[in-house]
Amino acid sequence: MLVEVRPADRLRGKNAVDLTAALAPVLDTLAGDGEGTDLSRLRVVADWVQYRESFRAPVALRPVVGGPQLELALDLRRTTAQDADQVATAVAAALHAHRSGGSSRHHVTLEEWVPTRRSRIWDFNALYWQHLRRWEEATGRGYESALPGGQSDARDVEPVRDTITELFTIWDSLAQRRALPEELYVVELGVGNGGQARTWLDTFMELDRAHGRDYHRRLHYLMCDYSPHVLELARAAVAEHSSRVSSFVLDATRPMTSLAFLRFKVFFVYISNVYDNLPTDEIATIGQREHLVESRAYLPADAAEAIAGRVDAAPAALGGLVDKLLRLGPDLLAEAAPQHFPGGVPAAVEFWRSCWQALRLQERYVPLHGLDTYEIAPGISGELLRPLVATGGDVRMHVSNGAATGFAETLPLLHPYGRLQCHDIVVTDPHQYRTGFRGPGKYDGSVVNWVNGPLLAHIGARKGFDVAFAPFRRPGSNITTMTAGVRD
Amino acid sequence: MSVSTVLPTSVIGSWSVPDWLERAKTGVHHGAVSRTQLADMHDMAVKAALKDQEIAGIDIVTDGELRRDNDVDYLLARVPGVRCAEPVKAFYFDYLDFYVTDRLPDPGPEPLRLAPDLQFTIEHTDRPVRFSMTGPFSLSRRLRCEGGAYPDRVELVLDLARVLNAEARALAAAGARLLQLDEPFLAGYPEQVELAMAAVNVAVADVPVTWALHVCYGNRYARPLWEGHYDFLFPAVLDTRVDQLLLEFARKGDEDLQLLRRHGWDRTVGVGVLDVKLAEVEPVEVVEKRIERALDVVPAERIVITPDCGLRHLPAPAARAKLNAMTTAAAAVRERLSREATRVKETRT
Repeated sequence: MLVEVRPADRLRGKNAVDLTAALAPVLDTLAGDGEGTDLSRLRVVADWVQYRESFRAPVALRPVVGGPQLELALDLRRTTAQDADQVATAVAAALHAHRSGGSSRHHVTLEEWVPTRRSRIWDFNALYWQHLRRWEEATGRGYESALPGGQSDARDVEPVRDTITELFTIWDSLAQRRALPEELYVVELGVGNGGQARTWLDTFMELDRAHGRDYHRRLHYLMCDYSPHVLELARAAVAEHSSRVSSFVLDATRPMTSLAFLRFKVFFVYISNVYDNLPTDEIATIGQREHLVESRAYLPADAAEAIAGRVDAAPAALGGLVDKLLRLGPDLLAEAAPQHFPGGVPAAVEFWRSCWQALRLQERYVPLHGLDTYEIAPGISGELLRPLVATGGDVRMHVSNGAATGFAETLPLLHPYGRLQCHDIVVTDPHQYRTGFRGPGKYDGSVVNWVNGPLLAHIGARKGFDVAFAPFRRPGSNITTMTAGVRD
Repeated sequence: MSVSTVLPTSVIGSWSVPDWLERAKTGVHHGAVSRTQLADMHDMAVKAALKDQEIAGIDIVTDGELRRDNDVDYLLARVPGVRCAEPVKAFYFDYLDFYVTDRLPDPGPEPLRLAPDLQFTIEHTDRPVRFSMTGPFSLSRRLRCEGGAYPDRVELVLDLARVLNAEARALAAAGARLLQLDEPFLAGYPEQVELAMAAVNVAVADVPVTWALHVCYGNRYARPLWEGHYDFLFPAVLDTRVDQLLLEFARKGDEDLQLLRRHGWDRTVGVGVLDVKLAEVEPVEVVEKRIERALDVVPAERIVITPDCGLRHLPAPAARAKLNAMTTAAAAVRERLSREATRVKETRT
């Protein structure tokens, strides 16, 4: 039996986890399990799930499809907060549930097994951005206050000045060679409250006046976001610059659908806190073989019963109501099912928030028959993962499919002298997957995962870009600055 | 080199590289594939590329440059006196780091040993073959000078031109009829065009073949390396002793076609009519229009129809479909020209 403790840095120091005490009830329960679990095929994997809200139960069993291996997953943050009996009971329940068909019969399952990037959690994520105003009305706070530190990380003036000064140098040089286009494009993907755009445009105007080339007249600043509501707020923030600003409702994974006319024309693309919020699979090597993580969303029995009681429905009917919620949104759901939501839209939003809070994921591993049978993004074969998974030993990592798709489709927008800058939570070394939990977690009503930086760097390299990572300037921030510039 | 048809079609050089060949080429650097096995794969891939071009109806074919990792390494690695800092790379298409510590020695005969590649190609097709080498100016841009070598880089460019000239003589002796120099980096250094053209003249001197010069805006990773206009080429290019000038017009638009008329270019023009940076296949009518617009500026007997650049970055189905669109469009324009010629003849008689 293999025991893998990933958060190794929590085993030392002032608040060190007492690992012996944490694992004792787990190992005792396994040793006393007389019903035939083959311990030689069992891996116990302990994570530290740092998110206040996540999709993980404190104890869960993950089977390998078609094989005898099993993985018992522990969230040390929560199991160490429980007493030993609770942990032992949870382990025994997980083993029992596995033997009796894979899940508790009382859970409300919301989908069939799917690769995680296709899970319903992403429908909830989309719902959040599409109906953000409703969510904010219900919580009484803007989504930015749900971000760590309570604000976007994108308003530091100094890096903006540096970027604009670099652009001026490039533009001057191109102008000298009669190679400067008449239109100078800058694209921002994921606009937040418009603060970044405002800072950027204010600084641009100031520096352009001093520079004296009147580049402002030729500037086109394109604000793009998935959420019309967010875009509306951002537009208001840059009202003074309206003659230079256009806005697009845009899926960050498919920028070319709206921006194809800008191929090779954009001098600067700025992306902030977008890639961590896009659908992703996870891939795992177990015993030198690659597996895809499949997930199944469910509502735990006790939570399902409570929610069902509040909307006057049987727990078994919750799946249908969730379907309608995700398809129609809260406003139309309230209209379509008034018997369940006599309180109208606020009641539907409350239902949405309750389901989201209770939502969990079961997981299992499905063997892959060759990495090239797996597609990371359109036209990008899973073979690109090989150097990352072949770094020795078992590893489980995100594929960041949405980020990879968006990144690969954004790079062609860049002018030969263009640059992409991204602020996000990024894994910069594959080893970080062996030492920490990188998602998925819940931020307010949305999903968050760390982005697989080395994979994006590989994708960039295959498209002719050098990708570099640097810590964000704000001390204590988890944010990484990722920069892509043309190589050679 | 002679092609009987009006508006002959040709590829520029590189052909689509299959995924399995990319893996094998990269595998050589990591010890996963032997050089003998890779050479075998190259032979098979070249034969397949020739067949693809023939099926598409291309009049002048190439070996697809499939033996070459990229436009520089295969050549620079063979130049006598050039050293490589670390001859291993993570991905085959990356550039190696080359340098010189002293002036290049006399190249001697066949310095690059390319004749076997040419002969293999000639043996496996009955069509005229275009054989390309990266030009001296672009090669020089990937070469570092250390230890005081070449304080004046002009000399480096000219010495590289002498190496190419020696190789071209060997290629001509081995049966080459159409040789081509590619200058993908020149557009980034327009102020050095006179040096680049002088070096072209050194490279082509006294080599009895048809010479082509291809200048593009780069196609590294299916991206342009530079942007701008071809006006920097003129008038310097008029003084080169080349017979064909192959330029890209599909992606950039045909505004620069007028430069040929304005500056009185009186030799053959290779007109790029396929955007090689996009996998979407151009409709035949679009390609026809591009050819027609070139005909407004250059007479048909001085036009070769080509893609903008090499097809290396396109998936093979897209490359094949694009060439089909190109040959179909060229045939349609040829047919129209023929009808018009007949009508004029009948009117006169």
